[in-house]
Amino acid sequence: MPDPVVVDNEIIKSSKTSEQEDQESEKDTKRYSLWNFWICSLFLKFLLIPDYFSTDFDVHRNWLAITNGLPLKQWYYEKTSQWTLDYPPFFAYFEWFMSQFVPKFVRNDGCLDIVPVGQFSWPTIVFQRLTVIITEFLLFIVLQIYINTSKPSEKTQSFVIASSIALSPGFLIVDHIHFQYNGFLFAILIASIVAARNKRYLLCATFYSIALCFKHIFLYLAPCYFVFLLRAYVLQIEGFKFRTYRDLFFIIKWKHLFQLGGIVVGIFGLCFGPFVFDMPQVLSRLFPFSRGLTHAYWAPNFWAIYSFCDKVLTTAVLRVPWILTVAKKTISSNLLPTSIDSIKQAIKQNNNGSKGLVQDVVFTILPQIPPKLTFLLTLLYQILAVIPLLFDPSYKRFIGSLTLCGLASFLFGWHVHEKAVMLVIIPFSFLVIFDRRLLISFMLVTSSGFVSLFPLLYKNEDFIIKCLYTYVWCVIYFFSLRKTTKVSSSVERRVFFLDRIAITYISSLFPMVIIIQLVDLLKWKYPILTKFEFLSLMTYSFYCSLGIISSWIGLSWLYNFDEPLWK
Amino acid sequence: MATTKTIHVKKHSKKHGKNSKSWEKEDDGKQPFYASPLFDFLYPFKAPGSQWVTQYIIVLFVLVISTAIGLGPYSGFNTPPMFGDFEAQRHWLEITQHLPISKWYWFDLEYWGLDYPPLTAYHSYILGKIGFFFWPPWFTLNESRGMETDGIKSYMRFTVLLSELVFYIPGVLYFTKWVGRRRKQSPVGQSIAAAAILFQPSLMLIDHGHFQYNCVMLGFTVLAINNLLDELYAMAAVCFVLSICFKQMSLYYAPIFFAILLSKSLFYPRWFNLARLFAIGIATVATFVAVFAPLYVFGGDARLENVIQSIHRIFPFARGIFEDKVANFWCVTNIFFKYKQLFTQEELQLYSLAATVAGFLPAFIITIFHPKKHLIPYALVACSMSFYLFSFQVHEKTILVPLLPITLMFVSSDWNVLSMIFWINNVALFTLWPLLKKDGLALQYFVIFIMYNWLLGNFSFVTPKFLPKSVTPGPSMSNVSSHYHRRSLLPDSIIWKLIIVVSYLCMFAIHIVDYAVPAPSQYPDLWVLLNCALGFGCFVLFWFWNYYKLFILRNKTIQDI
Repeated sequence: MPDPVVVDNEIIKSSKTSEQEDQESEKDTKRYSLWNFWICSLFLKFLLIPDYFSTDFDVHRNWLAITNGLPLKQWYYEKTSQWTLDYPPFFAYFEWFMSQFVPKFVRNDGCLDIVPVGQFSWPTIVFQRLTVIITEFLLFIVLQIYINTSKPSEKTQSFVIASSIALSPGFLIVDHIHFQYNGFLFAILIASIVAARNKRYLLCATFYSIALCFKHIFLYLAPCYFVFLLRAYVLQIEGFKFRTYRDLFFIIKWKHLFQLGGIVVGIFGLCFGPFVFDMPQVLSRLFPFSRGLTHAYWAPNFWAIYSFCDKVLTTAVLRVPWILTVAKKTISSNLLPTSIDSIKQAIKQNNNGSKGLVQDVVFTILPQIPPKLTFLLTLLYQILAVIPLLFDPSYKRFIGSLTLCGLASFLFGWHVHEKAVMLVIIPFSFLVIFDRRLLISFMLVTSSGFVSLFPLLYKNEDFIIKCLYTYVWCVIYFFSLRKTTKVSSSVERRVFFLDRIAITYISSLFPMVIIIQLVDLLKWKYPILTKFEFLSLMTYSFYCSLGIISSWIGLSWLYNFDEPLWK
Repeated sequence: MATTKTIHVKKHSKKHGKNSKSWEKEDDGKQPFYASPLFDFLYPFKAPGSQWVTQYIIVLFVLVISTAIGLGPYSGFNTPPMFGDFEAQRHWLEITQHLPISKWYWFDLEYWGLDYPPLTAYHSYILGKIGFFFWPPWFTLNESRGMETDGIKSYMRFTVLLSELVFYIPGVLYFTKWVGRRRKQSPVGQSIAAAAILFQPSLMLIDHGHFQYNCVMLGFTVLAINNLLDELYAMAAVCFVLSICFKQMSLYYAPIFFAILLSKSLFYPRWFNLARLFAIGIATVATFVAVFAPLYVFGGDARLENVIQSIHRIFPFARGIFEDKVANFWCVTNIFFKYKQLFTQEELQLYSLAATVAGFLPAFIITIFHPKKHLIPYALVACSMSFYLFSFQVHEKTILVPLLPITLMFVSSDWNVLSMIFWINNVALFTLWPLLKKDGLALQYFVIFIMYNWLLGNFSFVTPKFLPKSVTPGPSMSNVSSHYHRRSLLPDSIIWKLIIVVSYLCMFAIHIVDYAVPAPSQYPDLWVLLNCALGFGCFVLFWFWNYYKLFILRNKTIQDI
């Protein structure tokens, strides 16, 4: 279809001049300040103070109490409450720091008591909510720096992205309602991304190490950071000529290597130093391998689809037994259960994944998944994402591989939380401004990622707010990104058919949420609906995982096979 | 580059070349709320093709903020045995559900008997049916009294949200568009005006915090105004009657609607347009009949008595001249003259009626002689304000009635008018403070108060100049020249400036003493009375100003509001 392209190009050419004029006249009048967004979001956050909060609230209150009341050595041994400290030491220091500001009346309220279950009321709630709101200010500072240090021609895009992160429904739902400190933690990660863009590699390493010492979930991004810093800062490949093996020695910039190593080791030393004699205990808290493959509610990843298939197959086999006999003849039999009875037995023994809390999930028909397999899969896809970075350590590549690393770990990791989707969305936001074709992929992952957070807030009173806020965010930013992302020359290569499907998928998320809510409300009335009780959560994770997986496939395609995008 | 954006603009401007150019050339400084944060948020979507986005943003954010307010407590939360307005509304959903229409206005009158007109009852009936479908225990007869679960709260909050979305928001959007087009306002300017109206804090806090369905009554009134603007007079009469039939409070507007419709059918644009007069008359009567007919038809044995009982319940003349502390004439001057001891109930009723009529008569007469569209809000303010200040049995929440036409005047672009309207909005919210404090909505009150003032740019005076530009408050995306001197919403006149600033300082002081100093034991209501006195003073001044505007604008056009 040559015609529309030509027309498009003409319009683009003609409009460019006016665009430039526009920019010249507006150059010094726009200041791209996030200040207004910060203030405005404050109002909503204050209004959310009386809202529902999850057990994470008591978790963090308990950590405040532990770090405030006990000597440092005992922090990782304390277990009066079941919510033991399981974040790295920097976060513990952070809690200690905040606990120094607890006013007397909040202390009297029971904020700092080390008890099995926290007994607290309004003052503690206000205090803890305020700590989240105040520490999130760091996010705004970092994003403002990101805007200020971007090129004048990219400021508008940077501003759109920065404000989209600052107002992200993910942070609103997880931090300000559910209760966590992600805004603050991701600010540190974003700082490292900004440093990478500005080619300040040491700073990048510093911030990443700090972030890692705050929350070890960022470990999933480690391969990417490792390769990026290695290639961009430590290795000297350009102009390399192999004459003898001695030349290989000079491929490494030793000074840079020692600087980098010094910083990373230094930060880790600062973090774990005081606990050096208790490392096994600390590590056992940080990495509790006893947990199951999927979380209480399945995160929308590959295993959700796997579990879903298992469920469907189980039902199918129980209804139509000869499927099993046919299957047995075609597939090697040790992967399959022996008979129908053994399936029923298995179902009885372990009530399936949808009900279990933090317990192991057992599949009835499909093969079991050992932790090792998930690690291998994650690693495989991370390596695939990192290899191009080895050849081309540009910022764009780095962000792309960061996003793919996050996606790989989210999709294939062991015991993944639905909240971990922010680990994908944040890097992706920085990537999407480079090309219009990434937008569909981005829309898929953000919409389904945010929707997959909805079950976190199961109370009725939060239903409207979570839906509407996510919806309005999507309207604003999908629209603005469409207007501001760069249109690459190869725009005609887009597969429009797939775009349509993606849009249909995204718009069908809304009815899905509504229908599940209605089923939930009406299940007392129509007993038939109780049969589908487990289905509601499963639908969430299954349906959202479809979106995230297709987004991953789309991004991987562009990442690996699209040349003009990475020029 | 933002290529498609310009493409969009270009395509559009080709289509409506004249329209879009006329506002593009308009001096930006003349836009309402220029350089305010609200302006700044909506400005990036200024292209005419992206107006749907601004509408989405405004409406959705109004709903989000309303829901967030709704997370707080409501009136009568946790205060058995009578609870409060929330329980009253829930109770009506319950009784309309289970009783035949003939019992609605008779059932257990001591416990929140139905005392609103029938349309409220039907509205309750429908919402009750839906709620009963979802979870019957919310509305089981008698047993559900005082229910305060998470579910019923969410459901009731949701019904208010839904009512607002259906009845109020479309009307306001239409109004701002209609006026904006006539005044050649830019599309984004219209959206900003709509946002300023929809974010009106008093209505938000009363409907979604305290809990009431005022948005339905006000929504019907806005629809009536819209129909007047479109010159559909019979339809306007129908909408206004529906408004009265939802809540009798909107009778405060009645003289003006009557004057406009009368004048339009008898004197303007030609004499004795009897066809129109009949149409309006028939529409009015038919609507009343339709609303009250079910009471008669399904009234059982005593059909007529059922209708009469409903009217008795709606107009409770047996009550005192004022109930709680309210910022009107009777309550404030009662500090000096104890009316209840000086006069009988009947005398007081007569005096208050006389004072009210005297208050709205000038507006009535002006409207009869100048039934012009741009005067409608001013006339409605003059009339409803005189009801609020002088009539019988006024609640503090009644300020919402004059506040609606006041807030609708945000479509103006005159800085003086905007400032006055904005100021009186703040005063009105302030007079609601004792009520909201009692409901436990202090957090919501302060957050919304500050949010509204900040959004519309009233805090522009706190702009530190010594900091780097990127960290100072100010426009982030909009095209505001750095030389532009931002200003707070204060009128040009020095006297008004003084009055407004002093009133703000007084509000601040009253809040401080209210928080810090316990009221003296012989006057336990002292701070509330101070609140009312301040509110009354400001309302009266505003009322005079409004009359002045009504008078000087009587021969002007819609361009001058």
